[in-house]
Amino acid sequence: MLWYFGRRLLLFVPTLLIISLVAFGLSRLAPGDPIQCGTQDLLEHGLGANSYESARTRYREEARRKGLDKPPFYLAIRPAAYPDTLYRILERYQRQTLRKLIDQYGNWPQIQAYAQRLEDWERQLYQLPRERSRDAQIRLERDLRLLKLSYRQERVESYFVKMQALIEADSLLREDLGPAWQALREAYTQILDEATPERLLQPALHWYGTDNQYHFWLFNFLRGDFGYSCRNGQAVADRLGGALWWTLIMSLPAILLSYLIAVPIGIRAATRRDSWFDRISTLILFLLYSLPSFWVATLLIVFVTTAEYGAWLDLFPTSGVGELPDEAPFWARLGERAHHLILPVFCMTYASLSFISRQMRTGVLYVLGQDFIRTAHAKGLPPRRVVWRHVFRNALFPLITLVALILPGVISGSVIVELIFNIPGMGRETISAIQARDWPVVYTILMLSAILTLLGNLLADLLYTLADPRVSYD
Amino acid sequence: MVWRRFRSNRPALWSLRLLVVLLGIAFFADFLANEKPLYCKIEGKRYFPVLADYGQALGWTNPDPQFLNVDWKDLEYERVWWAPVAYSASTIDVYNAPFKGPFDRQVVAEDRFWHWLGTDDLGRDVAAGMLAGTRMAMLVGVVAMSVACFFGIILGLLAGYYGDSRLRWTRVRLLANGVALVAAWFYGFAARSYALAESEWPPGELGKSILLGLVLLVVANVGASQLERFPLLARKRALPVDLLVMRAIEVLESVPGLLFLLAILAVIEKPGILDVMVIIGFLSWTSVARFVRAELLRIRTLPYIEAAQVMGFSEWRIIWRHALPNALGPILVVVAFGVAGAILAEASLSFLGLGLSIDQVSWGSMINKAREDFSAWWLALLPGLAIFATVTIFNLIGDGLAQAMDAKLNQ
Repeated sequence: MLWYFGRRLLLFVPTLLIISLVAFGLSRLAPGDPIQCGTQDLLEHGLGANSYESARTRYREEARRKGLDKPPFYLAIRPAAYPDTLYRILERYQRQTLRKLIDQYGNWPQIQAYAQRLEDWERQLYQLPRERSRDAQIRLERDLRLLKLSYRQERVESYFVKMQALIEADSLLREDLGPAWQALREAYTQILDEATPERLLQPALHWYGTDNQYHFWLFNFLRGDFGYSCRNGQAVADRLGGALWWTLIMSLPAILLSYLIAVPIGIRAATRRDSWFDRISTLILFLLYSLPSFWVATLLIVFVTTAEYGAWLDLFPTSGVGELPDEAPFWARLGERAHHLILPVFCMTYASLSFISRQMRTGVLYVLGQDFIRTAHAKGLPPRRVVWRHVFRNALFPLITLVALILPGVISGSVIVELIFNIPGMGRETISAIQARDWPVVYTILMLSAILTLLGNLLADLLYTLADPRVSYD
Repeated sequence: MVWRRFRSNRPALWSLRLLVVLLGIAFFADFLANEKPLYCKIEGKRYFPVLADYGQALGWTNPDPQFLNVDWKDLEYERVWWAPVAYSASTIDVYNAPFKGPFDRQVVAEDRFWHWLGTDDLGRDVAAGMLAGTRMAMLVGVVAMSVACFFGIILGLLAGYYGDSRLRWTRVRLLANGVALVAAWFYGFAARSYALAESEWPPGELGKSILLGLVLLVVANVGASQLERFPLLARKRALPVDLLVMRAIEVLESVPGLLFLLAILAVIEKPGILDVMVIIGFLSWTSVARFVRAELLRIRTLPYIEAAQVMGFSEWRIIWRHALPNALGPILVVVAFGVAGAILAEASLSFLGLGLSIDQVSWGSMINKAREDFSAWWLALLPGLAIFATVTIFNLIGDGLAQAMDAKLNQ
């Protein structure tokens, strides 16, 4: 028995590893520059060389702070044309441009030289005093920004032609930028002339060791350090802690209520099979089961939270959780909160209610057909006792599996209900984190809900053995 | 037999009939709601503007230049047949915006242009939107479940039929296939990433990559069968297919569906409705696979499979010709429930504003509009009713099928 659960726990490890890899992979694939998440454009800079340099320093520091200046993973398998050190180019879009160049020509040394020349020239351009030929300079800066993102030959060359014309037209610019510009163009020609596309067909494996982004994140997670939200720098644990509190306040009453209502209904419907109660409750529960909760929530908000359809329908507050000042009496605050939470709790209750009581009914019906129930009736036990002592205990199974489903629900919350009623719980936090691409928060939520699901499954297995000693896993 | 039992279940039978109606609406949505005439005669010439749109969408015909910038309702017709709803789902009626209800005062030239079910914030007709939404919902169901069935049936079959010990490959074959898979990834995708990302027609390049991968796999297997002559290489190892598939299912099911869906969608720059459908399908193959696996575990032990094995039929033939057809019936149950789930998932996403481009309408996005203006009861009520009805229909069909099949299994 212990052995069985020990093995189950061991099997969690690969599953969780895969989930962490999937979460990490998603964050790498997502568009946007992760270094700039939650900050203003760090590379935006004012006039002059100092400003240009300090912007780049700021960017590098931000990358180090977020741990994004490390190689992404333990190892990389890729064409031998790639250098091991590509990750050191921090700007995501620049890195992508270089990748595209490597994918076409396969000669990193030449491409690196070109990138270096490009940077040198950029620095020279920004060092020029602004007043001299302002118009041409601004246009050059704009074209340069696009040139840095270009990798197709025809596009690169079209920018070359455009910028060349701008430089040629201005004698001062020609004097200052001319030589470096020639060097830049030569570097590009060299990429084209000395292309080694055959290096792309040669696989190479590089081992980066444990000082990488994934390792950093995973081990911090295991130590309980979930990192910092990239939106406002708040610790993820604090952020989620606050959200979890609201989700628990909503989901615990909802779970409790739905069990309290669903179990008696399920038992009554099953014990009086085909009675009017059974038919009607089955029908209603079936309809409830198909009712999308976001629709019900919208209907409630539209019809019973404002005076739009008559003053008597303005029953509940529209959204939020109700904030009274701290000095207000406790009961008043509690009442205000409860008033705000009635509708969301209702929405969460009815959905699980229908599910649980349908399961309960099926379970009880199955048990009622068994021999030992007939025996119990035959030996003259009162029907109540049969139902609650014999049937109920044996019909617990479906309820137990539901426990496993409920645990992760507590973490992820009822995403849409929280969003509609504007409750600052886990569900709303998840959505806003995903939409803002706040990956530290998203990782943590994905991992925690996966852990809870797995634990829930395990817990269900454990409860099975308690409910029915015949079940053993040896 | 199953059909007779199913037919005796009245709610399920009616649901099936309604489903046919819904499918009809989905199929002919463009003919039911369109600002263009279905048929018209102008200056002695006949036109079929709605049909012509299909031709253009498929690239068969070019748009008729004389209709390029015309307002269809202002043309002079000799004869004309209009669609029952005078608006397309994306038509914007600026005179009746925002939020004109069915009983509000509407500014319309003729009765034909009355918005029977009101308009939304931009002045788009809700009736037309409902019809377009029907098409969207049915499309989601079909696409998502096709993807789910593709992965679910294949993986479920392999896991259920072979289990952990029955697929025995020689060492050299295992090795060769492993190497070939890595090589296929490297030469098909890593080394060709530029061609894949930048080509004029990406599916063509993707096809080439996949073809290359298949060639590598074939070569590896041919090579392996040659090398199997050496006894050291020919020792057999069992491939734990079941374990692998079940692990994959566990991974996918351990993260709540909507959360996973949102996280994957965050990766796509501008997720379209097709992306949403495929991802929903990809996340729901697990239930199909579980079901197929369970069926196969049962079928595998039946005498006729053993008979087929004894007769020396190839494994391939036994799986596809003998085992699978027997498992197909129960899959229908999962598919029915799966479609309901997929429609709900898509509705939730478009309610959140994901996956639809601006000119597309679905039931979920219409409900979302109701939150902007609480007086628009028609937007809150009608699309939700449609979702509710459709989901109920599929659940009832699923229930009916399950009961009909169970009865068969019990006999």
